Amino acid sequence: MSERHELIKSNIDSLLLCLISGQPMYGYQIIKELKDRSRGYFSFKEGTLYPALHRLEKSGLIEGKWQALPSGQQRKYYYITEKGYASLALQRSSWREFLNAMNLIIRPEEVRDSI
Amino acid sequence: MSTGIDEYLHNVKSSLRLEAPDEAEVIRELATHIEDEVKELKGTGLRDDEAVSACIRLLGSAKSVGRKIYEAHSQGTWQQALLTSLPHLLFALLFILNWWRGLTAVLILLIGIMSTAVYGWWHRKSGWLFPWIGYSLLPVIIAGLSLIYLPTGLTWIAFIVYIPLTLWLILRVITQTIKKDWLYLSLMLLPMPAIIGWFVAADWQGNFNAEAEARLYYDAPWIGVSFLALAFGVVTFVRIRRRWLKISVLFMSGAIALTFISSYARGRLDFIVLLLLILFLVSIFLVPALLENGVKTGRWGKYFEHRPMS
Repeated sequence: MSERHELIKSNIDSLLLCLISGQPMYGYQIIKELKDRSRGYFSFKEGTLYPALHRLEKSGLIEGKWQALPSGQQRKYYYITEKGYASLALQRSSWREFLNAMNLIIRPEEVRDSI
Repeated sequence: MSTGIDEYLHNVKSSLRLEAPDEAEVIRELATHIEDEVKELKGTGLRDDEAVSACIRLLGSAKSVGRKIYEAHSQGTWQQALLTSLPHLLFALLFILNWWRGLTAVLILLIGIMSTAVYGWWHRKSGWLFPWIGYSLLPVIIAGLSLIYLPTGLTWIAFIVYIPLTLWLILRVITQTIKKDWLYLSLMLLPMPAIIGWFVAADWQGNFNAEAEARLYYDAPWIGVSFLALAFGVVTFVRIRRRWLKISVLFMSGAIALTFISSYARGRLDFIVLLLLILFLVSIFLVPALLENGVKTGRWGKYFEHRPMS
């Protein structure tokens, strides 16, 4: 498995929580949004999205509800829960710490300049 | 819906093994995804069949998607783990605390287990239920065996009424359980090799004599420990996600129980009996898995199926 897939796999929960916290979304919409916002970086086997969504739903971090589109077709929208917001806040903070630590090692000059 | 999509969703479904409402919801959700994707691909100029093929390629292997969704759903809570392992724990206590010598305790336990099994069967047939059904089969089988000792004139009751009725009931339970997931049948039958093993080790010869009772008394703590091994295996089974690990854990707990029997009933179980018990344990996992296809395609299931699984 490529390095990119490994990275996506280990961060998929944070990515999904972050997207859904912006607005409730359904599966296909999430795939498109991830691809568009990352300019194509986050493209993966679409079937792998649903196990991740169901895992988050089972953990109580998101909640799925069937709702009608303006066209009348039903789609399962995912909403972030209170528990999901709390988990996202933790994940954001650990991601920031990780990124800072990585930058201190990988790009020390830029970090020094920014201080 | 196109044949390619139907086949894809069917393949996902065959790997899901979830409760019927959950399964229907997963398939519905994937179907809506496919609908959106195919519509968009057709908008780029692809033909119907090309759009469907491209969509299925983008989704990835149906079996892998089904298996991963199963894993997302397959982890039970600690409460479910406790409820599933409770009949094993109760049987363990029955022997460890030597309650088995009092008829009242045994009757209360069996009636409690059977009532819970009947209640669970007519409500949702959730995963926790199957070990309870397994223990409930014991009194049914023992009652059938004891009919042999009826006065000669009444033996016909066994042949005309009890045996066909019991066989029908057991076969119906088996087919409906396999239809849900063959692994539940293994979960249901898991204590059987241990029960038969300890039974044979106590030198059961048609009448429970004082010598056999004395042996059972000395074996009781180890019988209890072997049921504890099953309980521990079942708790782990409920809590882990991966299916192959679930199967391994159940098998290991059954094997540990048999190891206890062979260690503490040394000299009372010959090699052939032990070998038969091991084969029985293996068949508890092998036979339901082999039967699953026949039951799910309706080849055998239709004879016992009268209403859809809830």
